Amino acid sequence: MLEVANLSLTYGLHRALDGVALNVGRGEIVTILGANGAGKTSLLKAIAGVVRTLPGKQVRLGGRDISALAAHDIVENGLALVPEGRGIFGDLTVKENLLLGANPKRARDGEAARREQVLELFPRLRERAAQIARTMSGGEQQMLAIGRALMSNPDILLLDEPSLGLSPAMVQELFATLRRVREAGVGLLLVEQNAQESLRIADRGYVLENGIIVGHGTADQLKSDPAVQRAYLGGAPAATPSS
Amino acid sequence: MTNAILTGLMLGGMYALIAMGLTLQYGVARIMNLSYGEFLIAAAFASHWLFTGWAVSPFVGLVLVVPLAFVLNFAIYKLLLTPLVRRAPNRDALEVDSILATFGLTFVIQGSMLALFGGAYYSYSFLAFPVQFLGETVAANRLAALGITILLGLALYLALTRTRAGTAVRAVAVDPFAAQLVAINVPQASALTFALGGALVAAAGVLVSTFLTFSASSGVVFTMKALIVVVMGGVGNMLGCLVAGLALGLSEALVASYVDPGLTLAVNFALFLAVLLVKPAGLFGRATR
Ligand SMILES: Nc1ncnc2c1ncn2[C@@H]1O[C@H](COP(=O)(O)OP(=O)(O)OP(=O)(O)O)[C@@H](O)[C@H]1O
Ligand SMILES: [Mg+2]
Repeated sequence: MLEVANLSLTYGLHRALDGVALNVGRGEIVTILGANGAGKTSLLKAIAGVVRTLPGKQVRLGGRDISALAAHDIVENGLALVPEGRGIFGDLTVKENLLLGANPKRARDGEAARREQVLELFPRLRERAAQIARTMSGGEQQMLAIGRALMSNPDILLLDEPSLGLSPAMVQELFATLRRVREAGVGLLLVEQNAQESLRIADRGYVLENGIIVGHGTADQLKSDPAVQRAYLGGAPAATPSS
Repeated sequence: MTNAILTGLMLGGMYALIAMGLTLQYGVARIMNLSYGEFLIAAAFASHWLFTGWAVSPFVGLVLVVPLAFVLNFAIYKLLLTPLVRRAPNRDALEVDSILATFGLTFVIQGSMLALFGGAYYSYSFLAFPVQFLGETVAANRLAALGITILLGLALYLALTRTRAGTAVRAVAVDPFAAQLVAINVPQASALTFALGGALVAAAGVLVSTFLTFSASSGVVFTMKALIVVVMGGVGNMLGCLVAGLALGLSEALVASYVDPGLTLAVNFALFLAVLLVKPAGLFGRATR
């Protein structure tokens, strides 16, 4: 579905991404593991077309070449980004945010039905339809950000730390929601600080270090990889308690 | 009293309309257009020329001048301002660049109008008869201008708040980064909104020409009034434009009829300062942005 190859990005002299390649299939959840500053946010932004990348990248979505498209056209082609810090329109209402979510032409058919699905996933948004987005709680804003992205009828959804600032119970709820989104056939590329949680729902994962993909595998393979355990899962594997 | 208030409302409505275009250009396209008033005067001349030369009623003039202004402003944005937009590392830098560029544009437009029309004051007589309104005698042209102003303002407000396209325009003002994530073509939306602002000020110019005398160098007064109203109301806020515009018009009319007509400008600035001292981001603006 989404195929990325040779993706590189520099900020001045700093090389934030170097020849990154990855793919995400239909209805698949793929996670990116990486330390702070590894380049995870940069990677999602580069795929979504909101930062300038070095020439030579190849991004294909459902067979179409979207490498040269501007960000707004990439959304039109079925790739939506929920950015770090949510990126909702704080001065607009919840309802207006969702209305804009369906702004791409591909989202106009079946908009009403899709809104119904989104409001079913996030009932809170229905209650808060007339509220100014910035006055909602952090968790509610996160739901709105995801809901708005879903309104664009995406084939691929990129999520940058969607659980940031959510309570543990809310995180569980969010991940359950993401599973349901996946069941609808949407492919998810997920960046999370909490590798434990993200590997639990992911099918596969990539390990990003200093802008380079240094490993990838199924979620189970990554969970049992000693290096991954040491770096991202807080030491010893959970399956072998130390006494 | 009623007469002063009526005059104030008619004046204030016009100020509000004039400011709406500027607040769109500034709030959405981030262009601080110092040549704004020149476009108003250019439209006033166009209407004058159509009326005196071709006997075209200003109502019909509106239909001709406004679309033309839209196209012209779109072209100005594309040709003159897009290079600045591309070059600016961020929106604050664009603001500064746009101030300089449009300041230059002021002289180009004003100079052309001076060359074409000279420095004399112009006016023409259209609907210049008194009518009874709310028990007061007012000029028909002012009343007609007020009616059209209300229609235009209302149409704009509804379009911005009740349609998806209008909501998208406001979204660009709120957060241009996020706007591209919902498939809004931000450069295109900015160009169209700038052009819409230009169309609005052209409409105001045609209306103003029906009841005020104007000269090639009157533009700066309107730029200033528009700026005051926009800042007072809160950048990008239509309702703020309305309230601040009416406040400005009313205070001018009341001071002119009860204190001294020479003091209107002083009152403008007193009101302006008072609002900014109490609410630095304007009546409807938020301090944090
Ligand atoms: N706009 C920018 N200008 C300069 N450097 C940047 C910019 N954005 C990111 N960087 C740098 O690029 C590197 C990768 O940043 P990025 O935000 O992609 O990391 P990340 O993996 O998302 O980190 P985190 O887990 O903390 O969110 C960092 O070293 C960061 O300082
Ligand atoms: Mg990040």
